[in-house]
Amino acid sequence: MAKKLIEAENISKYYRLGVLGSRSLQEDLVNWWSGKLNKPVTADPESRQHIWALRDISFDLFEGEVLGLIGKNGAGKSTLLKIISRITLPTAGRIFGNGRIASLLEVGTGFHSELTGRENIYLNGHIMGMKKKEIDRKFDEIIDFSGVSRFLDTPVKRYSSGMYVRLAFAVAAHLDPEILVIDEVLAVGDAEFQQKCLAKIKSISREEGKTILFVSHNIQTIRSVCNRALVLDKGRLIFSGEPESVLAGYVKLSREQLLGTDYSKQGLLPGNEFIRIKRLALVPDYTNQQQVIDVRTPLHIRFEFIYQAEETGELLVNLQLFSSDGELVFELASKNYIFKTGSVSGESIIPGNFLNDGSYYISLAFVRNSTERLFYFESCLSFEVEDYKEPGYWYGKWAGKVRPPFPVELSQEPGQTRL
Amino acid sequence: MEKNAEWQWEISAYRPWYRFNLRELFHYKDLIFRFVRRDIIASYQQTILGPIWVFLQPLFTTLVYFIIFHRVAKISTDEISPLLFYLPGIIIWSYYADSITTTMNTFQNNAYIFNKVYFPRLIVPLSSILFHSFRVSIQLLLFLGVCLIYGLKGTPIHLSWQILILPLLIFITACFALGCGLIISVLTAKYRDLDNIMQFLLRLFMFAAPVVYPASLVPQTYKFIFWLNPLTPVIEIFRSSFLKPHALPLFYLLLCMLTTFIVLMTGIILFNKREIQIMDVI
Repeated sequence: MAKKLIEAENISKYYRLGVLGSRSLQEDLVNWWSGKLNKPVTADPESRQHIWALRDISFDLFEGEVLGLIGKNGAGKSTLLKIISRITLPTAGRIFGNGRIASLLEVGTGFHSELTGRENIYLNGHIMGMKKKEIDRKFDEIIDFSGVSRFLDTPVKRYSSGMYVRLAFAVAAHLDPEILVIDEVLAVGDAEFQQKCLAKIKSISREEGKTILFVSHNIQTIRSVCNRALVLDKGRLIFSGEPESVLAGYVKLSREQLLGTDYSKQGLLPGNEFIRIKRLALVPDYTNQQQVIDVRTPLHIRFEFIYQAEETGELLVNLQLFSSDGELVFELASKNYIFKTGSVSGESIIPGNFLNDGSYYISLAFVRNSTERLFYFESCLSFEVEDYKEPGYWYGKWAGKVRPPFPVELSQEPGQTRL
Repeated sequence: MEKNAEWQWEISAYRPWYRFNLRELFHYKDLIFRFVRRDIIASYQQTILGPIWVFLQPLFTTLVYFIIFHRVAKISTDEISPLLFYLPGIIIWSYYADSITTTMNTFQNNAYIFNKVYFPRLIVPLSSILFHSFRVSIQLLLFLGVCLIYGLKGTPIHLSWQILILPLLIFITACFALGCGLIISVLTAKYRDLDNIMQFLLRLFMFAAPVVYPASLVPQTYKFIFWLNPLTPVIEIFRSSFLKPHALPLFYLLLCMLTTFIVLMTGIILFNKREIQIMDVI
């Protein structure tokens, strides 16, 4: 059996949310006085000011394997990476390890825009833990790989973003650790360069026998690169094993979460004296066999609410779709309706081949007489759209919030000859 | 505990204060010098006067102090030619103040790096101090130049053997600034209010050191407290070694080394213990 390089035991991470103000100082002083500071935190599960980003994660990493870590945004992937990379400390639990780790949570960390490419290769290399001799030795290789040799003595602020990323990745690719921890940093640069990066990663793992911990939320990538996978959900490790079986579990889980919420089973309905939400659901029309929402999948949004009517009131519902960075992608509105008090249901469709891959969330606004907002159900539904590309592509991130299949056609007049 | 034998490293919530990885710091020594180099190159990039600023700053300050404290306020300069009197104090003080201001903001200014990659965080304050030490060395050359000009013009210059301990004085200032900076950096990272207080205190602290007045003006009652400040013996010895023969205040020099050592160790221990936890609150 292969040698064990990392053994993580019951890793937990507890965050204090909210603003740090005089309260926190006061709290700290009290804790300090009573000698509690730096002791394991006893969490108050009811508290909204605190969150467990990770709960009791245990796993092993063996020499020579490529371990994939998958999970939705907020599942704790980044926190786990940060703990392994020693950027943040766990609240409880321990990790034991052998060998040097290099973490690529970002390429080009510490690049200084005023410095030349040459200076930055050294600066970034040292930050990543390389010694001067090591960089001297690999310098030509790094330059070759980056393809920016002509601009070596130009400040990087004059570089195009593509050149910048090439140079940054070139340094990273020549790190020589026993364990390489990679975040989704490779989702940058053009398709050709990404192919090159993938090839490099594959050769690092297969030919040089390097051990890699690879994090992604892209199923396709994990499937093509890893030979074992872990699934994180809400801070807990829920599946681990062969990529195929683990990914199947992950997909099933995603589907269950997407069914939405039936609030009528939960007692108090969210809302106010005018509007009470009963049900909310996102129903995908799966077209693929894995039953994953990808860029081709049409999505139905269905909701039902209890409406407390007023005599002169007209009601409309406004649906807003936001991308994960909070940008409003689009807004839809129903017509104005006059309803009696009682249950009202609604439905909308986001067609397939429209949204780009990424995370989105939906907010619903209930508006009376076109102006008066009765209730705003903020970020009530969230979902992720997976990438889908014809086989042959690897990782290229398609830019933009939408990806409509509008054709771009080229043509040439018949009979035209080359000049 | 038998586990520790088979593993090279361990990550856990608790890090004892005495566990200080000197070997790791040494592994990253290239990084320290690279940071210094980066700061030197970056600070004079696209400036017209470039490195000349290193000279202009103390010269202008001296000029202003000369007008305000000498001409207007008529504060004694211990019978030393005023320009020569102010320059050592200004050089040492600005070295101390610049070093402390950079190190106290270590976490805020480098959060973008600290959030992405691990290396011993102490590298950053160490390299800031080295960068300012580079500047202060150039300023010392300036001071020698000014002394030379004055000497040639006939102003009495009393060089004594004490100039040999000038490197020690610079080293003490560096250690004291580093110690204070580390302590403040840990405190201000979490409670930003302290940042404002510290800026303000630092400005006042200048008047607690013999920068614009000679130590001889300080009344006997406050003498001990005044000399307890490590900057006092540093500035006074610096001045007297060039300008006015005095016996070396050996007791205060040793006391100042002791104070500096305590401050520095407190700073390093505190910083070492908190360097990673702080990233959760930045």
